[in-house]
Amino acid sequence: MKKVYQVIAYVIAALVVVQAMAVVWAISGESKYVSDGGVIDKAVVESREVIFPEVWGFAVHGINGGLVLPLVGLLLLVASFFAKVPGAVKWGAAVFVLVLAQMSLGYASHEIPITGALHGLNALLLFTAAGYTGLRVKRVASVGV
Amino acid sequence: MRLRPLVACIATVAILAPLAWFWRASLLPSSYSVMPVGHAGHEGHGRSVTMLTADLARPADVSVTLVARKERLRLASGRTMSGYTLNGQSPGPVIHADVGQLVQVRLVNESVPDGVTLHWHGVDVPNAVDGVAGVTQDAVLAGHEFVYRFVPDRAGTFWYHSHQVSHEQVASGLLGALIVGPSDNDVLALVHLYGPARTVNGFEGSQNVTARPGTRVRVRIINTDNGPMPVWVVGSPFRVVAVDGSDLHAPSMVRDVSLLVTAGARMDLEIVMPASPVRVQMGGATSIVLGSEPYDIPSAAKPPSTLDLLSYGMPAPLGFDPAKANKHFTYDIGRRPGFLDGTPGLWWTVNGRMFPDVPMFTVALGDIVRMTVSNNSGDVHPMHLHGHRAVVLARDGVAATGSPWWVDSLNVGDGETYEIAFVANNPGIWMDHCHNLPHAGEGLVAHLMYEGISTPYTMGTQTGNNPE
Repeated sequence: MKKVYQVIAYVIAALVVVQAMAVVWAISGESKYVSDGGVIDKAVVESREVIFPEVWGFAVHGINGGLVLPLVGLLLLVASFFAKVPGAVKWGAAVFVLVLAQMSLGYASHEIPITGALHGLNALLLFTAAGYTGLRVKRVASVGV
Repeated sequence: MRLRPLVACIATVAILAPLAWFWRASLLPSSYSVMPVGHAGHEGHGRSVTMLTADLARPADVSVTLVARKERLRLASGRTMSGYTLNGQSPGPVIHADVGQLVQVRLVNESVPDGVTLHWHGVDVPNAVDGVAGVTQDAVLAGHEFVYRFVPDRAGTFWYHSHQVSHEQVASGLLGALIVGPSDNDVLALVHLYGPARTVNGFEGSQNVTARPGTRVRVRIINTDNGPMPVWVVGSPFRVVAVDGSDLHAPSMVRDVSLLVTAGARMDLEIVMPASPVRVQMGGATSIVLGSEPYDIPSAAKPPSTLDLLSYGMPAPLGFDPAKANKHFTYDIGRRPGFLDGTPGLWWTVNGRMFPDVPMFTVALGDIVRMTVSNNSGDVHPMHLHGHRAVVLARDGVAATGSPWWVDSLNVGDGETYEIAFVANNPGIWMDHCHNLPHAGEGLVAHLMYEGISTPYTMGTQTGNNPE
């Protein structure tokens, strides 16, 4: 279970990387689309059509962040109960809370754009926390606590 | 240490069991009625919606047959794509009628696998022909047909579209325009996104329309998409003469302002043609260019200010007194995490509750109804009430001071609150939903139900009826 716990923590860190890459890829595509003369209004956005190929980046970001990450975060928390690693639950819970905070900030940014800046900051915290949660499994185990 | 696995198991169950319970509770039955629990049942009570028809003995004045097919469609622009057609085309044929004429439309489904219906968006039709699968009829399956009969009671710009799996069928082509009243010199501007292609009357980019200097041109704009669309006019002042098929009273001439035509809504503009061409831009580059050779007028950026219909035009009698309202409803749109038919996500709520636990607004014939529609969901919602037109009384506490502003499709922005009123004068069971059709599919739907009316129809996977 220790290994499962560790792998899930690394998966979360990797998913955060995917999130950052996907959304910047999409915004770049959007910028190019507009530069090439394309026009986007709410009617176009709500059509959920692939008007430029990088729109997939938004879809990945939305599904990954809204569905996959909270589920994997929940799995980490559950795995932490069985991991037999000192501090596992504490770190599992911290990562899960950061995932929930990240979602809230992301959704809130549609109404209050400045929360998008916090969303970016929290992404780094989440990445660091998830990565550390994975790394410390080996460290704590080797110390023999 | 034997205690540890036990504690871990208890903690796991404590977290997962409530989630599993919420998931299970959210699953919809394979067949269900829109009617509240206790009212449903095939024997029904009171009058069935099927009895709410136009005069069956009266012959039709306008008779149209529309054949729905799943096939590759070819736009006026030449682009082809897979989708749905009506009489081999999309948008479907424009239907013209005069006020008081009996319109009869025979819908034949030749090959649309999920079945089809037609809803007459903005027309206060009898409930039996409202075209909502699972509420007022069963979806018309391939090889079957259905006849719609109604008498439009006012002139204006309307449209029709399927109300079966509507989020997919409307986007893929099952729609068209319905014009009531004289329209000889009018220009239709039905805007629709076919995949990535934004079109006006099926044309991509600009459509040129001949209009001689000095002529009075009425441009009938229809937004058939899922989000609000800005519209602006380059090269001439103009008036907004009608909104959602209701004429405005004493609209003033305006220029350098943008209009917001929300999803499902219509706006009619009147332009007196100057010597040079005029460009009506809809959502950006998509335009109608009025003029004569050459149609030479460049597009321009959207003017920053938007015309506020709350104070546009002059007041006029409404025909009823909203102060005498005897029913007050609240339609409060929100959003929260949860399960929708088993799918986790951040879903829309109505009055704090999630579909199917959404309100049924019950009225009696003759009631004067006031409704407070507020939106704190983080997104804009174009709210569409079937079978009635409502008048806007106030927005965010600021009373309307302009022309009576009648709507059937109201743009309720995030953080906005609208006060609207209408007369319950059309018995039936009517949808009151978001016309961002995927949002409706995600449960942003309520119903207006008249006392003593019931429906024999049900929706759900087993029934084949899926109105959204």
